[in-house]
Amino acid sequence: MPRIFVHLVARAGVFVCLIGLALPVDVHAQSDVAKVYKTNCVLCHAADGSGNSSSGKALGAKDLASNEVQKKTDAELAEVIAKGKGKMPAFGAKLKPEDIKQLVAYIRAMPKK
Amino acid sequence: MKLTRPLLCLMAVGTVILILGTSRDTRAVPSYSRQTGMPCATCHFAPPELTPFGRKFKLDGYVLTTKPEVTDDKKDHNSGLRLLEAFPLSVVFDTSYTATKSPQPATQNGNFQFPQDVSLFLAGAWGSHVGSFAQVTYTAQGNHFSWDNTDVRYANTHDLFGKSLAYGITFNNNPTVEDLWNSTPAWGFPFTASNVSPTPAAKAIINGALAQDVAGFGGYTMWNEHLYIGSTIYRSQHLGGAQPNPGTGFGFNIRGLAPYWRVAWQTVTKNNSLQFGTYGMHVKSSPNAITGPTNGYTDWAFDFQYDRTIPQFKNDVLSFRGTYIRENSSLGATFAAGGASQLGHHLNTAQANLEYHYGTKLSGTAGLFNVAGTPDPLLYAQASVFGSANGDPRSNGYTLNVSWWPQQNIDLAVQYSGYLRFNGAQTNYDGAGRKAGGNNAVFLLARFVF
Repeated sequence: MPRIFVHLVARAGVFVCLIGLALPVDVHAQSDVAKVYKTNCVLCHAADGSGNSSSGKALGAKDLASNEVQKKTDAELAEVIAKGKGKMPAFGAKLKPEDIKQLVAYIRAMPKK
Repeated sequence: MKLTRPLLCLMAVGTVILILGTSRDTRAVPSYSRQTGMPCATCHFAPPELTPFGRKFKLDGYVLTTKPEVTDDKKDHNSGLRLLEAFPLSVVFDTSYTATKSPQPATQNGNFQFPQDVSLFLAGAWGSHVGSFAQVTYTAQGNHFSWDNTDVRYANTHDLFGKSLAYGITFNNNPTVEDLWNSTPAWGFPFTASNVSPTPAAKAIINGALAQDVAGFGGYTMWNEHLYIGSTIYRSQHLGGAQPNPGTGFGFNIRGLAPYWRVAWQTVTKNNSLQFGTYGMHVKSSPNAITGPTNGYTDWAFDFQYDRTIPQFKNDVLSFRGTYIRENSSLGATFAAGGASQLGHHLNTAQANLEYHYGTKLSGTAGLFNVAGTPDPLLYAQASVFGSANGDPRSNGYTLNVSWWPQQNIDLAVQYSGYLRFNGAQTNYDGAGRKAGGNNAVFLLARFVF
Protein backbone atom coordinates (compact mmCIF):
# COMPACT_ATOMS: atom_id res chain seq x y z
CA MET A 1 0.00 0.00 0.00
CA PRO A 2 1.46 3.41 -0.94
CA ARG A 3 3.00 5.17 2.06
CA ILE A 4 1.43 8.45 0.95
CA PHE A 5 -2.04 6.92 1.34
CA VAL A 6 -1.29 5.72 4.86
CA HIS A 7 -0.10 9.17 5.83
CA LEU A 8 -3.11 10.81 4.22
CA VAL A 9 -5.58 8.62 6.11
CA ALA A 10 -3.67 9.06 9.38
CA ARG A 11 -3.50 12.82 8.95
CA ALA A 12 -7.15 13.00 7.96
CA GLY A 13 -8.01 11.23 11.21
CA VAL A 14 -5.92 13.63 13.26
CA PHE A 15 -7.42 16.57 11.35
CA VAL A 16 -10.99 15.44 12.08
CA CYS A 17 -10.07 15.08 15.76
CA LEU A 18 -8.45 18.50 15.96
CA ILE A 19 -11.42 20.12 14.24
CA GLY A 20 -13.65 18.49 16.81
CA LEU A 21 -11.53 19.80 19.66
CA ALA A 22 -11.21 23.23 18.12
CA LEU A 23 -14.93 23.78 17.65
CA PRO A 24 -16.32 25.63 20.59
CA VAL A 25 -19.06 23.86 22.48
CA ASP A 26 -21.51 26.62 21.75
CA VAL A 27 -20.92 28.06 18.31
CA HIS A 28 -24.27 29.79 18.38
CA ALA A 29 -25.37 31.87 21.24
CA GLN A 30 -28.09 29.70 22.69
CA SER A 31 -30.66 30.51 25.29
CA ASP A 32 -30.84 28.23 28.29
CA VAL A 33 -34.03 26.63 27.10
CA ALA A 34 -32.53 26.00 23.65
CA LYS A 35 -29.65 24.20 25.35
CA VAL A 36 -32.06 22.17 27.44
CA TYR A 37 -33.98 21.25 24.29
CA LYS A 38 -30.79 20.37 22.43
CA THR A 39 -29.46 18.23 25.26
CA ASN A 40 -32.63 16.31 26.01
CA CYS A 41 -35.05 16.44 23.10
CA VAL A 42 -33.19 16.71 19.80
CA LEU A 43 -32.15 13.06 19.74
CA CYS A 44 -35.74 12.05 18.99
CA HIS A 45 -37.70 15.20 18.14
CA ALA A 46 -34.98 16.74 15.90
CA ALA A 47 -33.78 20.32 16.05
CA ASP A 48 -36.97 21.63 14.43
CA GLY A 49 -39.28 19.54 16.59
CA SER A 50 -40.53 17.55 13.63
CA GLY A 51 -39.52 14.14 15.01
CA ASN A 52 -37.79 13.65 11.69
CA SER A 53 -34.52 12.34 13.15
CA SER A 54 -33.53 8.74 12.44
CA SER A 55 -34.26 7.66 15.99
CA GLY A 56 -37.43 9.77 16.08
CA LYS A 57 -38.75 8.08 12.94
CA ALA A 58 -38.00 4.64 14.31
CA LEU A 59 -39.65 5.40 17.65
CA GLY A 60 -42.55 7.35 16.18
CA ALA A 61 -41.65 10.58 17.98
CA LYS A 62 -44.34 13.26 17.79
CA ASP A 63 -44.04 16.36 15.64
CA LEU A 64 -44.05 19.00 18.36
CA ALA A 65 -45.58 21.60 16.03
CA SER A 66 -48.46 19.33 15.06
CA ASN A 67 -52.04 19.96 16.15
CA GLU A 68 -51.97 16.75 18.16
CA VAL A 69 -49.27 18.21 20.40
CA GLN A 70 -50.19 21.86 20.27
CA LYS A 71 -53.81 21.27 21.27
CA LYS A 72 -52.65 19.94 24.65
CA THR A 73 -52.74 22.34 27.55
CA ASP A 74 -49.53 23.59 29.12
CA ALA A 75 -50.18 21.38 32.11
CA GLU A 76 -50.62 18.33 29.90
CA LEU A 77 -47.38 19.03 28.02
CA ALA A 78 -45.52 19.59 31.26
CA GLU A 79 -46.86 16.31 32.58
CA VAL A 80 -45.70 14.39 29.50
CA ILE A 81 -42.22 15.89 29.86
CA ALA A 82 -42.06 15.19 33.56
CA LYS A 83 -43.64 11.75 33.66
CA GLY A 84 -43.05 10.47 30.14
CA LYS A 85 -45.56 8.79 27.89
CA GLY A 86 -45.35 5.73 25.68
CA LYS A 87 -41.74 5.39 24.54
CA MET A 88 -40.80 8.83 25.81
CA PRO A 89 -38.92 8.64 29.10
CA ALA A 90 -39.72 10.81 32.11
CA PHE A 91 -37.49 13.85 32.56
CA GLY A 92 -39.03 14.98 35.83
CA ALA A 93 -36.19 13.64 37.93
CA LYS A 94 -33.61 15.58 35.93
CA LEU A 95 -35.25 18.81 34.80
CA LYS A 96 -36.36 21.46 37.22
CA PRO A 97 -40.02 22.60 37.05
CA GLU A 98 -38.77 25.91 35.70
CA ASP A 99 -36.90 24.13 32.87
CA ILE A 100 -40.03 22.16 32.00
CA LYS A 101 -42.11 25.33 31.99
CA GLN A 102 -39.64 26.98 29.62
CA LEU A 103 -39.62 23.87 27.42
CA VAL A 104 -43.39 24.05 27.11
CA ALA A 105 -43.06 27.67 26.01
CA TYR A 106 -40.31 26.65 23.58
CA ILE A 107 -42.60 24.02 22.07
CA ARG A 108 -45.43 26.54 21.83
CA ALA A 109 -43.16 28.87 19.87
CA MET A 110 -42.44 26.28 17.20
CA PRO A 111 -43.91 27.22 13.80
CA LYS A 112 -47.39 25.73 13.50
CA LYS A 113 -48.22 23.28 10.71
CA MET B 1 -18.06 -36.94 26.00
CA LYS B 2 -21.05 -36.74 23.71
CA LEU B 3 -23.94 -34.39 24.19
CA THR B 4 -26.29 -37.05 25.49
CA ARG B 5 -30.02 -36.65 25.98
CA PRO B 6 -29.84 -36.94 29.81
CA LEU B 7 -27.21 -34.25 29.90
CA LEU B 8 -29.29 -31.96 27.70
CA CYS B 9 -32.30 -32.52 29.95
CA LEU B 10 -30.15 -31.76 32.99
CA MET B 11 -28.97 -28.53 31.41
CA ALA B 12 -32.51 -27.54 30.47
CA VAL B 13 -33.85 -28.26 33.97
CA GLY B 14 -30.93 -26.41 35.53
CA THR B 15 -31.54 -23.43 33.32
CA VAL B 16 -35.25 -23.30 34.17
CA ILE B 17 -34.47 -23.56 37.89
CA LEU B 18 -31.96 -20.76 37.49
CA ILE B 19 -34.55 -18.57 35.79
CA LEU B 20 -37.27 -19.30 38.32
CA GLY B 21 -34.85 -18.70 41.11
CA THR B 22 -33.64 -15.37 39.91
CA SER B 23 -36.00 -13.69 37.52
CA ARG B 24 -38.90 -12.92 39.80
CA ASP B 25 -37.02 -10.37 41.82
CA THR B 26 -34.69 -9.21 39.13
CA ARG B 27 -35.33 -5.54 38.53
CA ALA B 28 -31.80 -4.75 37.49
CA VAL B 29 -30.95 -3.08 34.23
CA PRO B 30 -27.61 -2.03 32.79
CA SER B 31 -26.26 1.42 33.37
CA TYR B 32 -27.34 2.95 30.05
CA SER B 33 -30.87 1.91 30.83
CA ARG B 34 -30.60 3.30 34.36
CA GLN B 35 -29.16 6.54 32.97
CA THR B 36 -31.80 7.09 30.29
CA GLY B 37 -34.78 5.59 32.06
CA MET B 38 -35.46 3.59 28.92
CA PRO B 39 -35.72 -0.18 28.57
CA CYS B 40 -32.97 -2.15 26.83
CA ALA B 41 -35.28 -2.61 23.82
CA THR B 42 -35.16 1.11 23.02
CA CYS B 43 -31.50 0.84 22.03
CA HIS B 44 -31.34 -2.85 21.09
CA PHE B 45 -33.40 -5.11 18.88
CA ALA B 46 -31.60 -7.69 21.01
CA PRO B 47 -28.27 -6.83 22.62
CA PRO B 48 -25.83 -5.97 21.16
CA GLU B 49 -27.80 -5.15 17.99
CA LEU B 50 -28.48 -1.44 17.92
CA THR B 51 -31.73 0.18 16.87
CA PRO B 52 -31.58 3.58 15.13
CA PHE B 53 -32.03 5.14 18.58
CA GLY B 54 -29.18 3.07 20.00
CA ARG B 55 -26.90 4.12 17.15
CA LYS B 56 -27.71 7.78 17.79
CA PHE B 57 -27.13 7.34 21.52
CA LYS B 58 -23.68 5.92 20.77
CA LEU B 59 -22.97 8.53 18.10
CA ASP B 60 -23.79 11.26 20.63
CA GLY B 61 -21.31 9.88 23.14
CA TYR B 62 -23.54 7.80 25.45
CA VAL B 63 -24.54 10.98 27.31
CA LEU B 64 -28.33 11.21 27.14
CA THR B 65 -29.75 11.04 30.62
CA THR B 66 -33.11 11.59 32.23
CA LYS B 67 -31.90 10.99 35.77
CA PRO B 68 -30.68 13.38 38.45
CA GLU B 69 -27.21 14.81 38.10
CA VAL B 70 -24.83 16.79 40.23
CA THR B 71 -24.56 20.02 38.28
CA ASP B 72 -22.85 23.35 38.40
CA ASP B 73 -23.27 26.00 35.74
CA LYS B 74 -20.41 27.41 33.74
CA LYS B 75 -19.95 30.99 34.87
CA ASP B 76 -17.23 33.60 34.50
CA HIS B 77 -13.92 31.80 34.90
CA ASN B 78 -15.46 28.67 36.37
CA SER B 79 -16.01 25.35 34.69
CA GLY B 80 -19.38 23.64 34.74
CA LEU B 81 -20.18 20.16 36.00
CA ARG B 82 -22.59 17.42 34.98
CA LEU B 83 -22.11 14.24 36.93
CA LEU B 84 -24.46 11.29 37.13
CA GLU B 85 -25.69 10.73 40.64
CA ALA B 86 -25.75 6.99 39.98
CA PHE B 87 -22.37 5.45 39.17
CA PRO B 88 -22.73 3.88 35.70
CA LEU B 89 -21.67 0.34 36.50
CA SER B 90 -23.10 -2.81 34.92
CA VAL B 91 -22.36 -6.51 35.11
CA VAL B 92 -22.67 -9.32 32.60
CA PHE B 93 -22.47 -12.89 33.85
CA ASP B 94 -22.13 -15.67 31.27
CA THR B 95 -22.30 -19.36 31.98
CA SER B 96 -22.09 -21.86 29.16
CA TYR B 97 -21.83 -25.41 27.95
CA THR B 98 -19.99 -26.47 24.79
CA ALA B 99 -19.81 -29.87 23.13
CA THR B 100 -18.09 -30.58 19.82
CA LYS B 101 -19.10 -33.50 17.63
CA SER B 102 -15.66 -35.07 18.06
CA PRO B 103 -13.70 -34.45 21.23
CA GLN B 104 -10.40 -32.65 20.96
CA PRO B 105 -7.64 -35.23 21.50
CA ALA B 106 -6.78 -35.93 25.13
CA THR B 107 -9.47 -33.55 26.40
CA GLN B 108 -12.86 -34.04 27.98
CA ASN B 109 -15.74 -33.10 25.73
CA GLY B 110 -18.82 -31.37 27.09
CA ASN B 111 -17.30 -28.30 28.63
CA PHE B 112 -19.33 -26.61 31.35
CA GLN B 113 -18.12 -23.18 32.42
CA PHE B 114 -19.56 -21.45 35.46
CA PRO B 115 -18.83 -18.73 34.71
CA GLN B 116 -17.55 -18.62 31.14
CA ASP B 117 -16.82 -14.99 31.78
CA VAL B 118 -17.94 -12.06 33.90
CA SER B 119 -17.72 -8.50 32.62
CA LEU B 120 -17.86 -5.24 34.48
CA PHE B 121 -18.82 -2.17 32.48
CA LEU B 122 -18.19 1.47 33.16
CA ALA B 123 -20.82 2.54 30.69
CA GLY B 124 -22.44 5.92 30.78
CA ALA B 125 -22.03 9.68 30.71
CA TRP B 126 -18.86 11.15 32.20
CA GLY B 127 -20.06 14.69 31.54
CA SER B 128 -22.00 16.81 29.07
CA HIS B 129 -20.23 15.52 25.99
CA VAL B 130 -18.08 12.62 27.16
CA GLY B 131 -19.19 9.07 27.77
CA SER B 132 -17.89 5.56 27.74
CA PHE B 133 -18.35 1.93 27.01
CA ALA B 134 -15.50 0.42 29.01
CA GLN B 135 -15.38 -3.28 29.81
CA VAL B 136 -13.15 -5.49 31.93
CA THR B 137 -13.72 -9.21 31.74
CA TYR B 138 -12.89 -12.15 33.92
CA THR B 139 -12.49 -15.38 31.98
CA ALA B 140 -12.53 -18.77 33.62
CA GLN B 141 -9.80 -19.98 31.28
CA GLY B 142 -7.43 -17.15 32.17
CA ASN B 143 -8.67 -17.01 35.77
CA HIS B 144 -8.16 -13.25 35.89
CA PHE B 145 -9.72 -9.98 34.87
CA SER B 146 -8.40 -8.31 31.75
CA TRP B 147 -9.20 -5.10 29.93
CA ASP B 148 -11.83 -5.74 27.24
CA ASN B 149 -13.56 -3.66 24.57
CA THR B 150 -13.39 0.02 25.34
CA ASP B 151 -14.72 3.10 23.57
CA VAL B 152 -14.46 6.45 25.31
CA ARG B 153 -15.77 9.30 23.23
CA TYR B 154 -16.38 13.01 23.09
CA ALA B 155 -19.34 14.01 20.93
CA ASN B 156 -21.15 17.14 19.91
CA THR B 157 -23.58 18.36 17.27
CA HIS B 158 -23.84 21.40 15.04
CA ASP B 159 -25.45 22.32 11.75
CA LEU B 160 -23.68 22.16 8.42
CA PHE B 161 -25.39 23.39 5.22
CA GLY B 162 -28.64 23.49 7.14
CA LYS B 163 -28.42 19.84 8.17
CA SER B 164 -27.37 18.26 11.43
CA LEU B 165 -23.74 17.37 11.89
CA ALA B 166 -22.80 15.03 14.70
CA TYR B 167 -19.11 14.61 15.30
CA GLY B 168 -16.81 13.22 17.90
CA ILE B 169 -13.54 11.80 19.02
CA THR B 170 -13.01 8.22 20.10
CA PHE B 171 -10.35 6.47 22.13
CA ASN B 172 -10.71 2.74 21.70
CA ASN B 173 -8.81 -0.54 21.70
CA ASN B 174 -10.36 -2.63 18.95
CA PRO B 175 -10.76 -1.63 15.29
CA THR B 176 -14.53 -1.46 14.48
CA VAL B 177 -15.58 -1.34 18.15
CA GLU B 178 -16.37 2.33 17.50
CA ASP B 179 -18.74 1.40 14.67
CA LEU B 180 -22.50 1.90 14.88
CA TRP B 181 -23.70 -1.15 12.98
CA ASN B 182 -23.69 -4.90 13.54
CA SER B 183 -22.24 -5.79 10.18
CA THR B 184 -18.62 -5.08 11.10
CA PRO B 185 -16.42 -7.50 13.09
CA ALA B 186 -16.46 -6.17 16.67
CA TRP B 187 -20.25 -6.24 16.99
CA GLY B 188 -21.08 -8.71 14.25
CA PHE B 189 -22.76 -12.12 14.34
CA PRO B 190 -22.34 -14.45 16.15
CA PHE B 191 -22.92 -12.11 19.08
CA THR B 192 -21.92 -14.79 21.56
CA ALA B 193 -19.65 -17.74 20.98
CA SER B 194 -17.95 -20.61 22.70
CA ASN B 195 -14.39 -19.95 23.78
CA VAL B 196 -13.40 -23.61 23.73
CA SER B 197 -14.49 -25.03 20.36
CA PRO B 198 -11.93 -24.91 17.49
CA THR B 199 -12.21 -22.10 14.95
CA PRO B 200 -10.53 -21.81 11.53
CA ALA B 201 -6.88 -20.75 11.45
CA ALA B 202 -7.16 -18.01 8.82
CA LYS B 203 -8.62 -14.69 9.88
CA ALA B 204 -8.30 -11.18 8.43
CA ILE B 205 -6.41 -8.81 10.70
CA ILE B 206 -9.39 -6.45 11.00
CA ASN B 207 -11.54 -9.39 12.05
CA GLY B 208 -10.45 -9.39 15.68
CA ALA B 209 -6.72 -10.06 15.47
CA LEU B 210 -5.91 -6.71 17.09
CA ALA B 211 -8.77 -6.63 19.59
CA GLN B 212 -7.60 -5.27 22.97
CA ASP B 213 -4.01 -5.31 21.66
CA VAL B 214 -4.00 -1.74 20.35
CA ALA B 215 -4.67 1.81 21.47
CA GLY B 216 -6.52 4.00 18.99
CA PHE B 217 -7.38 7.66 18.67
CA GLY B 218 -9.86 8.74 16.03
CA GLY B 219 -12.59 11.03 14.88
CA TYR B 220 -15.97 10.54 13.25
CA THR B 221 -18.82 12.53 11.87
CA MET B 222 -22.39 11.89 10.71
CA TRP B 223 -23.92 14.46 8.41
CA ASN B 224 -27.65 14.81 7.92
CA GLU B 225 -28.09 11.46 9.71
CA HIS B 226 -27.09 9.81 6.46
CA LEU B 227 -23.37 10.02 5.77
CA TYR B 228 -20.99 8.60 8.35
CA ILE B 229 -17.24 9.04 8.05
CA GLY B 230 -14.73 7.88 10.61
CA SER B 231 -11.04 7.27 10.93
CA THR B 232 -8.85 6.01 13.76
CA ILE B 233 -5.12 5.55 14.03
CA TYR B 234 -3.76 2.67 16.09
CA ARG B 235 -0.55 1.76 17.85
CA SER B 236 0.23 -1.49 19.63
CA GLN B 237 -0.55 -1.64 23.30
CA HIS B 238 -0.05 -5.13 24.64
CA LEU B 239 -1.95 -5.89 27.82
CA GLY B 240 0.49 -7.28 30.34
CA GLY B 241 3.43 -6.35 28.14
CA ALA B 242 6.37 -4.19 29.12
CA GLN B 243 6.22 -0.44 28.54
CA PRO B 244 7.77 0.95 26.37
CA ASN B 245 6.98 -1.93 24.05
CA PRO B 246 10.00 -4.15 23.26
CA GLY B 247 7.86 -6.22 20.89
CA THR B 248 8.96 -9.62 22.13
CA GLY B 249 6.29 -12.21 22.72
CA PHE B 250 3.62 -10.52 20.62
CA GLY B 251 2.60 -11.42 17.08
CA PHE B 252 1.68 -7.91 16.02
CA ASN B 253 3.82 -4.87 16.75
CA ILE B 254 2.51 -1.98 14.71
CA ARG B 255 5.25 -0.02 13.00
CA GLY B 256 4.37 3.64 12.66
CA LEU B 257 0.63 4.15 12.65
CA ALA B 258 -2.08 1.76 11.52
CA PRO B 259 -4.97 3.71 10.01
CA TYR B 260 -8.55 2.45 10.06
CA TRP B 261 -11.20 4.07 7.91
CA ARG B 262 -14.97 3.89 7.66
CA VAL B 263 -17.54 5.39 5.31
CA ALA B 264 -21.20 4.44 5.50
CA TRP B 265 -24.52 5.68 4.19
CA GLN B 266 -27.72 5.05 6.10
CA THR B 267 -31.33 5.86 5.60
CA VAL B 268 -34.01 5.35 8.21
CA THR B 269 -37.79 5.44 7.87
CA LYS B 270 -40.42 4.43 10.40
CA ASN B 271 -40.15 0.73 9.56
CA ASN B 272 -36.92 0.46 7.61
CA SER B 273 -33.27 1.02 8.35
CA LEU B 274 -30.72 0.48 5.62
CA GLN B 275 -26.97 0.93 5.72
CA PHE B 276 -24.20 0.09 3.34
CA GLY B 277 -20.61 1.10 3.55
CA THR B 278 -16.95 0.33 3.41
CA TYR B 279 -14.23 0.03 6.01
CA GLY B 280 -10.66 -1.08 6.09
CA MET B 281 -7.29 -0.93 7.69
CA HIS B 282 -3.62 -0.91 6.85
CA VAL B 283 -1.14 -2.43 9.28
CA LYS B 284 2.60 -2.73 9.05
CA SER B 285 3.80 -5.02 11.78
CA SER B 286 6.89 -6.88 12.92
CA PRO B 287 6.20 -10.11 14.81
CA ASN B 288 8.07 -10.43 18.12
CA ALA B 289 10.20 -7.38 17.35
CA ILE B 290 10.07 -3.65 16.78
CA THR B 291 12.80 -3.52 14.16
CA GLY B 292 13.73 -5.57 11.13
CA PRO B 293 11.52 -6.99 8.39
CA THR B 294 7.81 -6.25 8.47
CA ASN B 295 4.53 -7.82 7.47
CA GLY B 296 2.12 -5.55 5.69
CA TYR B 297 -1.65 -6.10 5.70
CA THR B 298 -4.28 -4.09 3.87
CA ASP B 299 -7.93 -4.96 4.44
CA TRP B 300 -10.67 -3.58 2.22
CA ALA B 301 -14.16 -4.39 3.35
CA PHE B 302 -17.77 -3.75 2.38
CA ASP B 303 -20.80 -4.24 4.56
CA PHE B 304 -24.53 -3.75 4.66
CA GLN B 305 -27.34 -3.97 7.18
CA TYR B 306 -31.09 -3.89 6.69
CA ASP B 307 -33.61 -3.93 9.51
CA ARG B 308 -37.27 -4.19 8.65
CA THR B 309 -39.96 -3.62 11.25
CA ILE B 310 -43.13 -5.52 10.36
CA PRO B 311 -46.22 -3.73 11.75
CA GLN B 312 -48.49 -6.60 10.64
CA PHE B 313 -46.56 -8.89 13.00
CA LYS B 314 -46.71 -6.68 16.09
CA ASN B 315 -43.51 -4.86 15.09
CA ASP B 316 -41.33 -7.95 14.85
CA VAL B 317 -38.04 -7.10 13.17
CA LEU B 318 -36.26 -8.87 10.35
CA SER B 319 -32.53 -8.11 10.07
CA PHE B 320 -30.21 -8.95 7.23
CA ARG B 321 -26.49 -8.19 7.51
CA GLY B 322 -23.33 -9.03 5.67
CA THR B 323 -19.73 -8.15 5.08
CA TYR B 324 -16.95 -9.01 2.68
CA ILE B 325 -13.30 -8.48 3.61
CA ARG B 326 -10.44 -8.66 1.15
CA GLU B 327 -7.03 -8.83 2.77
CA ASN B 328 -3.83 -8.40 0.80
CA SER B 329 -0.68 -9.11 2.73
CA SER B 330 3.02 -9.04 2.12
CA LEU B 331 4.65 -11.17 4.80
CA GLY B 332 8.29 -10.08 4.61
CA ALA B 333 9.04 -10.79 8.26
CA THR B 334 7.27 -14.14 8.40
CA PHE B 335 8.88 -15.20 5.12
CA ALA B 336 12.34 -14.24 6.38
CA ALA B 337 11.73 -16.28 9.53
CA GLY B 338 10.71 -19.32 7.50
CA GLY B 339 7.05 -19.07 8.46
CA ALA B 340 5.70 -18.49 4.97
CA SER B 341 6.65 -19.94 1.61
CA GLN B 342 6.00 -16.72 -0.32
CA LEU B 343 5.65 -13.01 0.32
CA GLY B 344 2.27 -12.18 -1.19
CA HIS B 345 -1.00 -13.59 0.16
CA HIS B 346 -4.64 -12.72 0.06
CA LEU B 347 -7.59 -13.76 2.16
CA ASN B 348 -11.26 -13.33 1.30
CA THR B 349 -13.84 -13.44 4.06
CA ALA B 350 -17.57 -13.35 3.39
CA GLN B 351 -20.25 -13.46 6.07
CA ALA B 352 -24.01 -12.96 5.96
CA ASN B 353 -26.80 -13.59 8.41
CA LEU B 354 -30.55 -13.31 8.60
CA GLU B 355 -32.32 -12.80 11.91
CA TYR B 356 -35.94 -12.70 12.93
CA HIS B 357 -36.82 -10.92 16.17
CA TYR B 358 -40.06 -12.15 17.67
CA GLY B 359 -40.68 -9.02 19.68
CA THR B 360 -37.97 -8.65 22.25
CA LYS B 361 -38.60 -12.15 23.58
CA LEU B 362 -37.11 -14.44 20.99
CA SER B 363 -34.73 -14.20 18.07
CA GLY B 364 -33.52 -16.77 15.57
CA THR B 365 -30.48 -16.23 13.37
CA ALA B 366 -28.95 -18.18 10.52
CA GLY B 367 -25.51 -17.15 9.33
CA LEU B 368 -23.15 -18.36 6.61
CA PHE B 369 -19.43 -17.76 6.38
CA ASN B 370 -16.71 -18.51 3.89
CA VAL B 371 -12.96 -17.91 4.13
CA ALA B 372 -10.63 -18.55 1.19
CA GLY B 373 -7.16 -17.40 0.27
CA THR B 374 -3.67 -18.18 -0.87
CA PRO B 375 -2.56 -21.69 0.11
CA ASP B 376 0.72 -21.77 2.03
CA PRO B 377 1.90 -24.96 3.81
CA LEU B 378 4.20 -22.96 6.09
CA LEU B 379 1.78 -20.22 7.06
CA TYR B 380 -1.08 -22.66 7.61
CA ALA B 381 1.08 -25.47 8.92
CA GLN B 382 0.00 -28.96 9.80
CA ALA B 383 -1.06 -29.44 13.42
CA SER B 384 -3.60 -31.55 15.19
CA VAL B 385 -7.10 -30.00 15.28
CA PHE B 386 -6.02 -26.40 14.66
CA GLY B 387 -3.68 -26.84 11.66
CA SER B 388 -4.02 -27.65 7.98
CA ALA B 389 -2.56 -30.71 6.27
CA ASN B 390 -2.65 -29.11 2.82
CA GLY B 391 -1.86 -25.49 3.75
CA ASP B 392 -5.17 -24.28 2.40
CA PRO B 393 -6.95 -21.67 4.53
CA ARG B 394 -10.39 -22.42 3.09
CA SER B 395 -13.15 -22.84 5.64
CA ASN B 396 -16.88 -22.49 5.34
CA GLY B 397 -19.97 -23.33 7.27
CA TYR B 398 -22.95 -21.96 9.10
CA THR B 399 -24.06 -20.77 12.51
CA LEU B 400 -27.58 -21.11 13.86
CA ASN B 401 -28.62 -19.30 17.00
CA VAL B 402 -31.84 -19.07 18.96
CA SER B 403 -31.97 -16.64 21.86
CA TRP B 404 -34.80 -16.46 24.34
CA TRP B 405 -35.09 -13.34 26.46
CA PRO B 406 -37.48 -14.08 29.35
CA GLN B 407 -36.53 -10.59 30.47
CA GLN B 408 -34.72 -8.00 28.44
CA ASN B 409 -31.62 -8.52 30.56
CA ILE B 410 -31.50 -12.33 30.46
CA ASP B 411 -30.38 -14.18 27.36
CA LEU B 412 -30.72 -17.95 27.12
CA ALA B 413 -29.18 -19.04 23.86
CA VAL B 414 -28.68 -22.24 21.93
CA GLN B 415 -26.15 -22.06 19.14
CA TYR B 416 -24.98 -24.61 16.62
CA SER B 417 -21.87 -24.07 14.49
CA GLY B 418 -21.42 -26.39 11.52
CA TYR B 419 -18.36 -26.68 9.29
CA LEU B 420 -18.54 -27.94 5.72
CA ARG B 421 -14.83 -27.33 5.26
CA PHE B 422 -12.23 -26.55 7.91
CA ASN B 423 -8.67 -25.38 7.26
CA GLY B 424 -8.71 -26.59 3.68
CA ALA B 425 -10.57 -29.90 3.67
CA GLN B 426 -13.70 -31.78 4.61
CA THR B 427 -11.96 -34.91 5.85
CA ASN B 428 -8.56 -35.41 7.45
CA TYR B 429 -7.99 -31.66 7.27
CA ASP B 430 -5.31 -31.74 9.98
CA GLY B 431 -3.47 -34.84 8.78
CA ALA B 432 -4.50 -36.61 11.97
CA GLY B 433 -7.77 -37.92 10.63
CA ARG B 434 -10.09 -35.21 11.94
CA LYS B 435 -13.11 -34.23 9.86
CA ALA B 436 -14.35 -30.67 9.42
CA GLY B 437 -17.67 -31.78 10.86
CA GLY B 438 -15.88 -32.99 13.98
CA ASN B 439 -15.66 -29.36 15.03
CA ASN B 440 -19.40 -28.84 14.78
CA ALA B 441 -20.37 -27.50 18.15
CA VAL B 442 -23.42 -27.06 20.33
CA PHE B 443 -23.14 -24.03 22.59
CA LEU B 444 -25.61 -23.27 25.36
CA LEU B 445 -25.43 -19.90 27.03
CA ALA B 446 -27.15 -18.26 29.97
CA ARG B 447 -26.35 -14.55 30.14
CA PHE B 448 -27.45 -12.26 32.93
CA VAL B 449 -27.06 -8.51 32.51
CA PHE B 450 -27.66 -6.25 35.46
